Amino acid sequence: MSARKKTQSQPKSRARARSLAPNIANDDIGEALRLKLYTSQLECRQIEQKAYDLFLQNLIKGTSHLGLGQEAIAAGFATAMQPKDYTFCTYRGHNHTLARGASMEGVLGELMGRQCGLLGGKGGSMHLTSVEHGAMGSYAIIGAHLPIAMGAAWSAQYRGTDQVSVCFFGDGTTNIGAFHEALNMSQVWKLPVVFVCENNLYMEYTPISQVTAVEHPAADRASAYGLERIVVDGNDADEVYRTAQTAFARARAGEGPSLIEAMTYRHSGHSRADPATYRPEGELEEWLKRDPIPSYRKRMLEFGIKEKDIVAVETNVTGRVNAAVETAKASPPPSNDVLMTEVWADGGSAWRN
Amino acid sequence: MAELTYREAVAAGIAQEMKRDPNVVFLGEDVAAAGGVFKTTVGLLEQFGPDRVRDTPISEQAILGAAMGAAMTGLRPIAEIMFSDFFAVCWDLVANEMAKSRYMTNGQVTVPVVVRTANGGGVRFGAQHSQSVENWAMAVPGLKVVAPSTPADVIGLLAASVRDDDPVVFFEQKSLYATKGEIPDGEHVVPLGQANIARQGKDVTIVALAAMVPRALKAAEILASEHGIDATVIDPRTLVPLDTRTILEETIKTGRLVTVEENPRLCGWGAEVVSIVSEEAFWDLDGPIVRITTPHIPLPSADALEDLALPSVERIVETIRTSVD
Amino acid sequence: MNVIMPQLGETVAEGTVSVWHKKVGDTVAENELLFEVSTDKVEVEVPAPASGVITEILIGEGETVDVGTTLAIIADASNGAAAGGAGETGTLPTPLGVAPATAGRAGADDPPLSPAVRKLVAEHGLDPAAIAGTGRGGRLTKADVLAHIEGGAGGAAVGNRDPRGQPLSPVVRRLLGEHGLDAAAIAGSGRDGRIKRDDVLAAVSSRGPAPSAAKAPPAPVKAPAGGQVIPLSKIRKLTGAHMVASKATSPHVLQAVEADFVRIERARKAHGEAWKAREGFGLTYLPFLARAVCRAIGDFPHINASIDGDNLVVHGRVNLGIAVDLGFEGLMVPVVKDAHTRNVAGLALAIRDLSTRARDGRLTPDDLTEGTYTLSNSGPFGTLITAPVINQPQVAILSTDGVRKKPVVIESEDGDMIGIRPVGVIAQSFDHRAFDGAYSAAFLGRLREIVETTDWSAEIG
Repeated sequence: MSARKKTQSQPKSRARARSLAPNIANDDIGEALRLKLYTSQLECRQIEQKAYDLFLQNLIKGTSHLGLGQEAIAAGFATAMQPKDYTFCTYRGHNHTLARGASMEGVLGELMGRQCGLLGGKGGSMHLTSVEHGAMGSYAIIGAHLPIAMGAAWSAQYRGTDQVSVCFFGDGTTNIGAFHEALNMSQVWKLPVVFVCENNLYMEYTPISQVTAVEHPAADRASAYGLERIVVDGNDADEVYRTAQTAFARARAGEGPSLIEAMTYRHSGHSRADPATYRPEGELEEWLKRDPIPSYRKRMLEFGIKEKDIVAVETNVTGRVNAAVETAKASPPPSNDVLMTEVWADGGSAWRN
Repeated sequence: MAELTYREAVAAGIAQEMKRDPNVVFLGEDVAAAGGVFKTTVGLLEQFGPDRVRDTPISEQAILGAAMGAAMTGLRPIAEIMFSDFFAVCWDLVANEMAKSRYMTNGQVTVPVVVRTANGGGVRFGAQHSQSVENWAMAVPGLKVVAPSTPADVIGLLAASVRDDDPVVFFEQKSLYATKGEIPDGEHVVPLGQANIARQGKDVTIVALAAMVPRALKAAEILASEHGIDATVIDPRTLVPLDTRTILEETIKTGRLVTVEENPRLCGWGAEVVSIVSEEAFWDLDGPIVRITTPHIPLPSADALEDLALPSVERIVETIRTSVD
Repeated sequence: MNVIMPQLGETVAEGTVSVWHKKVGDTVAENELLFEVSTDKVEVEVPAPASGVITEILIGEGETVDVGTTLAIIADASNGAAAGGAGETGTLPTPLGVAPATAGRAGADDPPLSPAVRKLVAEHGLDPAAIAGTGRGGRLTKADVLAHIEGGAGGAAVGNRDPRGQPLSPVVRRLLGEHGLDAAAIAGSGRDGRIKRDDVLAAVSSRGPAPSAAKAPPAPVKAPAGGQVIPLSKIRKLTGAHMVASKATSPHVLQAVEADFVRIERARKAHGEAWKAREGFGLTYLPFLARAVCRAIGDFPHINASIDGDNLVVHGRVNLGIAVDLGFEGLMVPVVKDAHTRNVAGLALAIRDLSTRARDGRLTPDDLTEGTYTLSNSGPFGTLITAPVINQPQVAILSTDGVRKKPVVIESEDGDMIGIRPVGVIAQSFDHRAFDGAYSAAFLGRLREIVETTDWSAEIG
């Protein structure tokens, strides 16, 4: 691992983002990809907003952990990935699952406990999975999926494919044992796994700074595992995208894992039950000014993408989201006979003869 | 027919499967270069190489997580947890992740993983390295639970476990590692869910597991020759799936049931067997069902005390002699 | 729409489906006869609550279930789905591999005795084989035993210990029951002489080709030459069992008086025609006697009682059972509730209603319960005297027989003379556990006095 300056990860992009006249000729991302990034973020945002509304209508029961405000991370990484790559995320995983290509009605249906749900109503909001899209699960036990993601990377390494395993988790996860075990072992075995810490400043209801020995809960631990310290603006989809590309290139080249800390903020509470009164006054408003989606829209215009094309994307997304809501609402609850199915690979649940 | 020790049978069983299927990989602490702390995996690194037989840090959660992640993405990993007591350190991966993922994803995820572990006492390692915890695994929906008592069954059941597409927890009894047994030639597979009737009798049915099987057989000999009690001994071999049919049939034949369990008393695996029999064969019971178990205490380390705690041949004989008429 | 077990009486909690008149797949119309329910006293016909097709029959003939249990399901014929909106939400599917092993169990057809039944049977020294089981598949339920205890029959004990006090294991008890064996007759080879399963099996095999167990179907009976074999009807069997139990319970004593019915006769003649014209049926002796009985009970209340353990429970109401013959096919005893509050006219109407409905098969279970005293009337056949069997759990029963003109001695100031009077014997069978002959005789004496001295015309009202 070569030494690099600690404070900057992508000096080039920072300079670009701040210039008043975007240099279109040097745009490494390009219009098509930008529209794709925007579409992805918008889909996540609107679906999460629908999830919020449906919860208020009592059509979604139990609890949901919304990723409102954190769309750029999911979109940025997903867009940089290949379909054959694996992702593992937490119970705040609606964005990540959608971003890999899972259907909207599959996501909403699962939240509503319907047959059309990705998991047939058996897993719920916290376990969204779409193996066909490489979304290998959303995990509710803090830290559990880090070593599991590492296992998928081991499998890719063993089979000699250049698949990458990407693992998303929150700032709170950096203090649990499995985080440290996974980072250590991934580095020792040089596994193609990218660990992405979405630092939204709060471990459930507590500011992360109050319970962590270092300032950046993930990035400041990287050196303990011989990894580079990487902190990015998680609300800038372009920055996320570029960071992801770099990490994936390393992984596919056999250079081992990366640990990326993406700074962001969640607009809603930890879960649906949380009104987030623990946030200091004004903090939410400050972060809303840095809402990834309006920022990105503005940037696209700066880069010369036409308003009408943007509007077309927005209209299209809204239409698909609304249709998905209707489809999910119309889907019936799971039939009783699925209760005892799929414990075992043979589809059954028998423990005796 | 060859004769192998139980520990040699572990290596032989793993080797049999790794040879057959290139997707079978194996990881654990000190398993590769050192051949395992109990010398159960000697020779595997040499035979299959460092890509397939891997030493890990002391990171039980990472070991099991890696095994699960690999199992979900095309491999058939065998993971070792050195002492079954250590399951408490990584139980989340076993009970919440491996066991439940298929059900929660409605079948999208398959987890063909085998977690082997050295289980049980009798070797003076003290309470945190001696407990029999197969009942912990039996209580978790989504896990298959295997506990062989002979070298042949080690190979046969390990083969079946590796070939099974579901998560299997494979309990090797450390006190049996030195015992010897005949191994059939060629590939050996014993299907899960089939009990073995180790001895056929007519007066009482004994159901015993793992290290308790040889003790039950010894006790049966003494009961027959000295007390005129002819016992059937059943070795279930797997707790999940459980061969309830054999247990019920054999209990109905004798009308009496006794379990011999190394685990501590409460919620031991025998409690479930007793529950099933008392519900489904109540009208064929000629006397109360009796469980012979380790008392509900952590295991002491001093040899005299440990031997007092674990069900001994003498205790088995005496209990059956006084309760079966 | 779910067809449920109806409540057959205020205090009844169970019922037995005796006959299904439809099977799965049949169409039924609302109010068409669907099934019959029986208790030990009555069979009730139950109409279908809705029209449609029978999609499921959940409780079979002979099964006893609690009131409210779903017995069958009728699908609305128009859309095939369960009609009435109260259909099932779906039951938990049977988990795979949960079916219990059915490895061979001897005599697996005979349902065994539950712990609760065994406890009761032991405590009361009963023979379970002598008690009819109304549970699923003929199983003896706790309720059956309790009902039997109220009936007061005794018998040999089985219980959960043998006569030597040694425990009887589940399989031993089951085998003893199945083979009709007595634990006292079997030597136990177990510890302390405990009877083991093999001891019972040995006893069974040494008995050789024994007659079948109590519950086994008997061999068919051969008709005698020129004769016929008439299987006993259900009601005759039930009645017979009740009679046997009654005689086994109560030490019956018969006492009789001969009464002069002249005053009743006078009242009948005076009011008979008008009555018949008004009510459509004739005024018989029976309502007069019923009234006389109620009045006499007022003076001798112990006649109107039951035995409960060591107590005589004297009833506050007189619920008079009236024995009704059903055309030689059986006997029913519907009850006039609170007979002591009615006059002759009221009693006549009530008796008429009950006997009509009894013959038409339209009695409700409430008509047949809570009787405290019974009248049996053989009068129309002109019998001399009858010794009736007490209707348990009552302690006495009255029989009125033929009233015929007889020469009697009439005493007057001017000396004795012979007259012609309508005379009949009134006989009471009573339970000697409840009271003695003197008390019964005094009651009968008072009864005769009432019959012979009342101004019955005034009583008709």
